[in-house]
Amino acid sequence: MKVASVLRLTAVVLLVLFIAMPQAFAFLFEPLTDNRAPAIYNQGSLLFLTLQHLRTVALATLASTVLAVALGIFVTRPSGAEFLPLSRSLVNIGQTFPPIAVLAIAVPLVGFGEKPTFIALFLYGLLPIFENTLTGLTQVSPQTLEAARGMGMNARQRLFQVELPLAFPVILAGIRLSVIISLGTATIGSTVAAKGLGEVIIAGLQSNNIAFVLQGGLVVALLAILIHDGLGLIERFAARKLGRSTDEVP
Amino acid sequence: MIEIDHLTKRYGATTVVDDVSFQVEEGTITVVVGTSGAGKSTLLRMINRLVEPTAGRVLIDGEDTRSIPEDELRHRIGYVIQGYGLFPHRTVAANIATVPRLLGWDRKKIAQRVEELLDLFQLDPAEFAQKFPHELSGGQQQRVGVARALAARPALLLMDEPFGALDAVIRSKAQDDLLAIQRRLGTTIVLVTHDMNEAFHLGDRIAVMDQARLLQHATPAELLMHPADEFVERLVGTAERPFRLLTLTKVQDALEPGSAEGEPITASESLHDALSRLMWSGRKALPVADASGAIIGKVSVGGILGHGRPLP
Repeated sequence: MKVASVLRLTAVVLLVLFIAMPQAFAFLFEPLTDNRAPAIYNQGSLLFLTLQHLRTVALATLASTVLAVALGIFVTRPSGAEFLPLSRSLVNIGQTFPPIAVLAIAVPLVGFGEKPTFIALFLYGLLPIFENTLTGLTQVSPQTLEAARGMGMNARQRLFQVELPLAFPVILAGIRLSVIISLGTATIGSTVAAKGLGEVIIAGLQSNNIAFVLQGGLVVALLAILIHDGLGLIERFAARKLGRSTDEVP
Repeated sequence: MIEIDHLTKRYGATTVVDDVSFQVEEGTITVVVGTSGAGKSTLLRMINRLVEPTAGRVLIDGEDTRSIPEDELRHRIGYVIQGYGLFPHRTVAANIATVPRLLGWDRKKIAQRVEELLDLFQLDPAEFAQKFPHELSGGQQQRVGVARALAARPALLLMDEPFGALDAVIRSKAQDDLLAIQRRLGTTIVLVTHDMNEAFHLGDRIAVMDQARLLQHATPAELLMHPADEFVERLVGTAERPFRLLTLTKVQDALEPGSAEGEPITASESLHDALSRLMWSGRKALPVADASGAIIGKVSVGGILGHGRPLP
């Protein structure tokens, strides 16, 4: 096995073990606590919080992907071309608006909990996916499209059989970026009572318990690294099939 | 038969193709030749309606192409462009299967057809079927491009600078291969090029275009001997003219009775080749053999030279 695979496997095993039975790691965190404070987060199950965290991110990214890809396809069709500048600025606003501000606006509208977090992540995740969808679709060679048209593929067949498969690795890169941003950003959702790993960090900050802060942060970081890596593998596989970036093959 | 009937294309005030008419006989190659911007590609693209004509019509076997739905029409017309536009995400086999798949052929029939075409284009199915376009050389990509266009046995094949991306050595081999396949399948071809040599090599008939207009549509020999105007004459190349004529004439046509020394030349070769051999060997005449190798006469320098000018 290659070094990269060993590292990957070790990281996965460590993460799963820690989430499933955090008490076994208590000895590592004890030196960081004062006044006999608990070393391991004890106000809820770490496993449950992790799953909740992932669920929020997954749902928000799914929603961003559906909207951003659909919008990207629409504005690259002849009928939607005039909406390109408008869509671009809308999506850009979603990105420039800080998520914490979105939370502040969303809470009075939809209440506390998961919903405002979902909205913030959804808006924040649109831009990378939208921009990558545009890039992916517009970089399909005009010759390939001309050939597709010349062979009698209609617009739908060209989109699904040629354009989207060719744009897929680039769109996937956008989704990956969006997921990674969301994984980190989702922690602030805990300030508005969304269940997630932010809860651990915030509890640590409130009780001045560095062990808690570190636990929450580490789990989020490890999740982000592993998901980034996993999606990167799929992307490279897809790109290799297209004969691109073969130099990246591990 | 393809009838191009007063085809015109205007973009605003610019006329790109101006009232062009000619006919393409079944099983022949018509080469449309001209300088860049002459409207050749637009003319070609109006045949499969990638460009809608402003006026005029195209008839395929008497049927007006406007009466056929666009996509259906294109399923029936093969199309090869410069650079081929192979699908980079699909294997060679899947690329070739594109139109049959659009037509909903069953799996077995498609696989059979793909194999047949790979054989025809001298690409070993075991080696090439599962390769991706980026793993092929330029010449191989070109062959896959033509194979893909022929997959659903189209009545007509349109080719837009199909050899433009190949280097000189591979290009002449690819042209010979295309000729051989065309003779074998009897496909009707309309080919666009700016290369006069290619036009003379491939065309049963040549259509010369300049500034959106069709200047002359004739056989290569007519084009050489009776150019319609100065532009055609210049394009044909006055200095090249006698040699092109010799290329078009077979040894058979300059056959003289008698015998000569040296290695015989076959009657089906061109006078150009015969003259070249005579000059190189320093002889005045060569024996001529028929297809079976029997000597049927001789060909001489004087006899050949007589064919290098228009007959009175």
